[in-house]
Amino acid sequence: MEVYEIFRRSGHKSPFEHCGAVIAPDPEMALLLGKECFLRRREGEHLWVVRRSDIHALEDESVLEIAADKSYRFASDYRDVVGKREAARRRVASMSSGGAS
Amino acid sequence: MKEAFVSLVTALADDELIIGHRHSEWTGFAPHIEEDVAFSSIAQDEIGHASAFYSLIAEATDTTPDRMALGREPGDYRHAVLCERPNRDWSYSLVRHWLYDTADDVRLEALQESAHAGLAALATKIRREERYHLLHANAWIKRVSEGPVEGRTRLIDALGRCYLEALALFDSLELEDSILENDLLPCSSSELRSRFAKRATSELDDFGLPADIHRDLDDSAEFLASSSGDLIASDQGAPTTSSRSGIGGRAGEHSDDFKPLWDEMTSTHRQHPDAQW
Repeated sequence: MEVYEIFRRSGHKSPFEHCGAVIAPDPEMALLLGKECFLRRREGEHLWVVRRSDIHALEDESVLEIAADKSYRFASDYRDVVGKREAARRRVASMSSGGAS
Repeated sequence: MKEAFVSLVTALADDELIIGHRHSEWTGFAPHIEEDVAFSSIAQDEIGHASAFYSLIAEATDTTPDRMALGREPGDYRHAVLCERPNRDWSYSLVRHWLYDTADDVRLEALQESAHAGLAALATKIRREERYHLLHANAWIKRVSEGPVEGRTRLIDALGRCYLEALALFDSLELEDSILENDLLPCSSSELRSRFAKRATSELDDFGLPADIHRDLDDSAEFLASSSGDLIASDQGAPTTSSRSGIGGRAGEHSDDFKPLWDEMTSTHRQHPDAQW
């Protein structure tokens, strides 16, 4: 018996998503059991099973940690760009008028 | 015509209800959690099919599905005795599941040609769901029959217990002449029995399981199944009442195994008849 990871998809344009695992002797049985355990209430219209031992996982999850500020990589950081630009212009204008006096 | 329709559909519905009830007794006890979920779901499907058949009867007569399922006396049920037998071990339940769903497929295929449009449509719908039951039953029988010798031995033992009782699923129905005259069923029960026996013995052969099955001599079965699908009278002498114990369900003659099941199944309904849930 081996562990099989179960993936299902809700529509033909949707990605397959992981939804659980079953213990089964082979892929055919994993499909049969996976269907009843995870798709008996129309949760999906297609089903994959993958032997867990065929999945390659990162050996060290810490490589996913982000050490420095990488906020520039996030779209949310660019919200209100127009407002920020106007504020910067005003700041520059006030600095140059202060220098003339 | 109406009586014939009720007779046919009652037999179909009672089979589904009673085998569904027996299957459901595995909930919490199946060999592993995944199978527990799968087998319980199959049990629910069968009871759902029973409910759909009872609804057809309720449309045609003055009754309700609940009253049909739970409000009758034991002798009014028309399921085959096979369905009411207690679960023994897992292999017994598997073999019964395999024989029953193979027989059900033969029966539903014929019912798709019924002159009663509602019944034909329901048979088509149910057969779609039964495809999974067959896949499930076949997957299990294949694996156990190819596995260690103990599993094989248990399967063969269970086949010996179940096979003749499975043939009795195709005993003549009450009012069968009228059922056939009105094309509610396109061919006779005995024709369906031959189709079933032919298919079952050939598939058993593919599993490497014995296709010529007969009961232990001390059970003195009166029929032997041959691979052609015909029944051959055995040379055990005249059948005695006890040797016919697996037969008669279609006439309401049930074994002693049915009363305890009926008591449990109908206890709530008997305390609160016609309660709405």
